[in-house]
Amino acid sequence: MNIVEYISSGILEAYALGELTEQERALVEKNLTQYPELRTELQRVEEAQEALLMQMAIVPRKAVRENLFQKIDARKPEAKVVPLQADQSNFWRFAVAASVTIAIVASYFAYDYRSKWMNSQGQLTELIAQNQRVAQDYNTVNQRLDKIESDLKIVDNPDFKRVVMKGTEGAPESMAYVYWNESTREVYLSVQNMRALAQENQYQLWAIIDGKPVDAGVFDTNLAGLLKMKEIGNGAAAFAVTIEPRGGKASPSLETMQVVGNVVKG
Amino acid sequence: MEYLYDNYSGALYGVIFRILKKEEIAEEVLQDVFLKIWDRFENYDASKGKLFTWLLNVTRNQAIDKTRSKEISKDQKTTPIEKVVSRIDNEEYIEQRIDGIGVSEILKVLSTDQQFVVEYLYFKGYTQSELAEEFDIPLGTVKTRLRLAMQQLRITLGVTT
Repeated sequence: MNIVEYISSGILEAYALGELTEQERALVEKNLTQYPELRTELQRVEEAQEALLMQMAIVPRKAVRENLFQKIDARKPEAKVVPLQADQSNFWRFAVAASVTIAIVASYFAYDYRSKWMNSQGQLTELIAQNQRVAQDYNTVNQRLDKIESDLKIVDNPDFKRVVMKGTEGAPESMAYVYWNESTREVYLSVQNMRALAQENQYQLWAIIDGKPVDAGVFDTNLAGLLKMKEIGNGAAAFAVTIEPRGGKASPSLETMQVVGNVVKG
Repeated sequence: MEYLYDNYSGALYGVIFRILKKEEIAEEVLQDVFLKIWDRFENYDASKGKLFTWLLNVTRNQAIDKTRSKEISKDQKTTPIEKVVSRIDNEEYIEQRIDGIGVSEILKVLSTDQQFVVEYLYFKGYTQSELAEEFDIPLGTVKTRLRLAMQQLRITLGVTT
């Protein structure tokens, strides 16, 4: 294409004037992208046109402007043009208002979250304590269960002889059992009903072997289940409990005997 | 939008008023033009030309459409431009950029033929083909005359690029 000829035909002036048909416009636009000298020339044409019309300007009455922008404002919901410079004072007023609002909201949330946090912290402490109590209870129950299971093994074991010790004249309501395994020498005591003693006293279990009392250990009444006592060997004919000073004595005070029972042979 | 209006309304109104001659109608068209610009601004494509060119095209089309409506008859197009200038002088336009220079003052540097083409195309609402037809000038001649006129004006108006 001869650019000089193309330009001198006046097509760019017609383009700038908006005179061309769709197809003609499209062709010019395509040529503009291909020939930089065409674009430069178009710019000159456009600038001359703008300069001419600026020189020929007539300022419209002020009312036209007001009227127009009222109409545009009415359409504003679908606003398209964003003003480049916002009103400075309005901007700062807005900025300050926004900052204050944010500060207030933030403080409120800080306070709110702090109290919520404290609350949670309190609840957490409580839960931890509760958890510990539950764990303790569980352990206690577990231990008690273990104890009951082991007690049950003893009670159920035919190798253990059960000796029922009944109340003497001085304590007719009292009762206690001894479980004794002759071959392993183990002795267990189970208190059924015996009165509580003063702090300085304790009950003492005796095995009667060959007519002589043998110490089998001391105990208090607050027992749960079986209490393992001192080992007792062959030949025990009976078991008895006396009240003795705390820690027990070497020989029994027979007048304080509370319960007694004979070992059933066989 | 205010920026567009404050920068270009004068130049565009100059075109509209000279084409339509009646203030009332010209003002209405100017408003319509800016509402159209407002509505269609996303259609403007800077790669296809200057912003002013686009604004002018919208304006010129709108004004020419108006001359074809019943309110304006074609014979009004030939009212001498001097009337416009006197009207400008009579009103309270302090910001007036025209400084009393009418179309003819600026266009005097042109040959009679060139002056005629510029006046009719820019300020009388004629299209190139209307001009060719009505005055029996070949369309190609209208185009080349306009080109020569614009080249001369480029020098006169001090457009240096």
